[in-house]
Amino acid sequence: MARLLVIDDEANIRLLYAQELSDEGYEVTTAGTVSEALQRLDEQTFDLVILDIKLKSESGLDLLQQIVRERHNLPVILCSAFSCYKDDFSAWLADGYVVKSSNSDELKLEIEKVLGKKIHRG
Amino acid sequence: MDWNCCWTKEQIEPGECPEIHTGEDEFLVYASRRIIEKCLICYRFREDLRRLAEEEPTSARLVSFLVDGLLNQAQQIAAMAGSLDSRNQEISFLHELAEVLQTTMNLDEVLSVAMTAITAGKGFGMNRAFLLLTDKSQHNLGIGPRNLQEAWQTWEEISHHNYTLTEMASQFFNTKLRTEKAKFNDILTQLGALLTDEEHILYRVLQGHKPLMVDEQVRATVGDNGLSRLLEVDSYLIMPLVCRNRSVGVIVVDNYVTHKTITRQDLESLETFGYTVAFAIERAALYDQLQEKIERLVEANERLLEQQEQIVRMEKLALVGEITSSIAHSIRNPLVTIGGFARSLLRNRADDDPLRDHLQSLVTAAQQLDDVLNEVLTSSDSLYPTRDQWDVNLLVYRVNEDLAERLIQRRIAIRLDLAQNLPVAFIDFRQITFCVKTIIINLLDSLPDGSEVLLSTRQIPAGILLEASAAPVPSEHAVSGLGIMVCRNLLEKQGIPFIISTTDREISFRITVPVERRESDGTLAGY
Repeated sequence: MARLLVIDDEANIRLLYAQELSDEGYEVTTAGTVSEALQRLDEQTFDLVILDIKLKSESGLDLLQQIVRERHNLPVILCSAFSCYKDDFSAWLADGYVVKSSNSDELKLEIEKVLGKKIHRG
Repeated sequence: MDWNCCWTKEQIEPGECPEIHTGEDEFLVYASRRIIEKCLICYRFREDLRRLAEEEPTSARLVSFLVDGLLNQAQQIAAMAGSLDSRNQEISFLHELAEVLQTTMNLDEVLSVAMTAITAGKGFGMNRAFLLLTDKSQHNLGIGPRNLQEAWQTWEEISHHNYTLTEMASQFFNTKLRTEKAKFNDILTQLGALLTDEEHILYRVLQGHKPLMVDEQVRATVGDNGLSRLLEVDSYLIMPLVCRNRSVGVIVVDNYVTHKTITRQDLESLETFGYTVAFAIERAALYDQLQEKIERLVEANERLLEQQEQIVRMEKLALVGEITSSIAHSIRNPLVTIGGFARSLLRNRADDDPLRDHLQSLVTAAQQLDDVLNEVLTSSDSLYPTRDQWDVNLLVYRVNEDLAERLIQRRIAIRLDLAQNLPVAFIDFRQITFCVKTIIINLLDSLPDGSEVLLSTRQIPAGILLEASAAPVPSEHAVSGLGIMVCRNLLEKQGIPFIISTTDREISFRITVPVERRESDGTLAGY
């Protein structure tokens, strides 16, 4: 069973994704802030991170850079309400990019795709 | 003694002196003028001198010497006056020519005036002339008749109309320029080729900056590489055209029909004339260049204005995009929650559950709102142009401006070395700006305070090279940071070469952006 870390500042979104992804058979952990996310990452091993870009006053992109730097083999899917971040070149460091939607099928497909690829960064 | 001549008389009567003609009455009353100008050439005076010699030989000998001396001097003065008159005419002609040449900046018109002046009877009166230019061989020109019959026709035509030099030049420029070029095309083609042959007499005269009169003697001693055979004449003149020590071209002149000798004086006059013509040709050529440069500047200015407008437009659009995105974000998160949970609840309801229709309504409404949001965001994103024609130097200026504050804080200077007249690049302005900015920021983070970064542009065969270099070599971060990784990824995807090189003394980042290419019909080919 793949272990996922969902990082989003919206409690409702965390709750929704936790429920939806658990229904798909994933083991889901959630975090609402950067520090909480880093703590979870230190405590447990994950197969994939689902990361919101705007975390209140914090930047998900900064956290993305930190994860890429420190955890080379941990894939990250950016999940944002902003489609415009696809143009932000920092976002290109992520393994996937999904625009948030009331239909989570796209997110689920992206998770399957990324986990299927088992991306390893050099 | 009774004298035959009137030289002893103070005044004489009309008809008394055979040398005084009608209208010369002043000689009747002025004895001194009459003696010097009339008596000395009069046969009666000679007879009086002979008689004087018989009676007073000593005095007569002295008088005879004085008379001969005076007559000799009078002849010299007359010859000098003739020469002076001829020179005056020449100066007057050169003055007219200079005036005519000053009125035009058109190269063909200048050449028409020059060639007309050489061949016109009111000018140097030569039969034929060939003008060859070093830089603009397409303007090479020949003038004159190709045979005796044509020569007679031309002279007859000219004798019927008393054209001035200006009129003749104007007529030649307007009606004969093209036909004369075509008429002498064979000779002009051969002469043009010979002008670049370093062994040929034409080339040697051109480089020697001295005119050469080629006649039988010169051909026998120096040789003329068969030029006389080509021209079908025994003698001709090669006149180099020199302006500010630069060889502009040569004029070859001959008397193909009359075979009249080209004199030393002709050569000197043509040499003086050559300076004026060379200057006029050079001036016309410079004027052409100036016009071209002005046109290019105007074009560049227009392009710059267009790009400035485009930047302003992009900035406005970016603002619109930001506002749209912000609103969309505020709506999307609650929408995801509502729609997501509705879907989740719907999935777990039995088919006959009465709440199912309500949940389906929620899911459908959420999906509709999702679609509207996507539409709004996609259309605001698509407002940004992607690849377009851009001035790379403008891009560099923008980066420099954007980073000005950070540079001042770090006391790091950016020195710009930007090539002028670069062609426009065909790039995604935002992406390349991002890359250049990222490179500079990486350097800023790695270089010690007070360092200098050189940003340069120049054209190379592959496109435009945009280079950022710095010394001393900064820390490893400058080449291996995440930003550089993103840049490399981004440029690679566009097929844009990105090279980082380090030596003991400096580091450099080189981006080669493509330049626009146009098809022959003017449409953009891209790359």
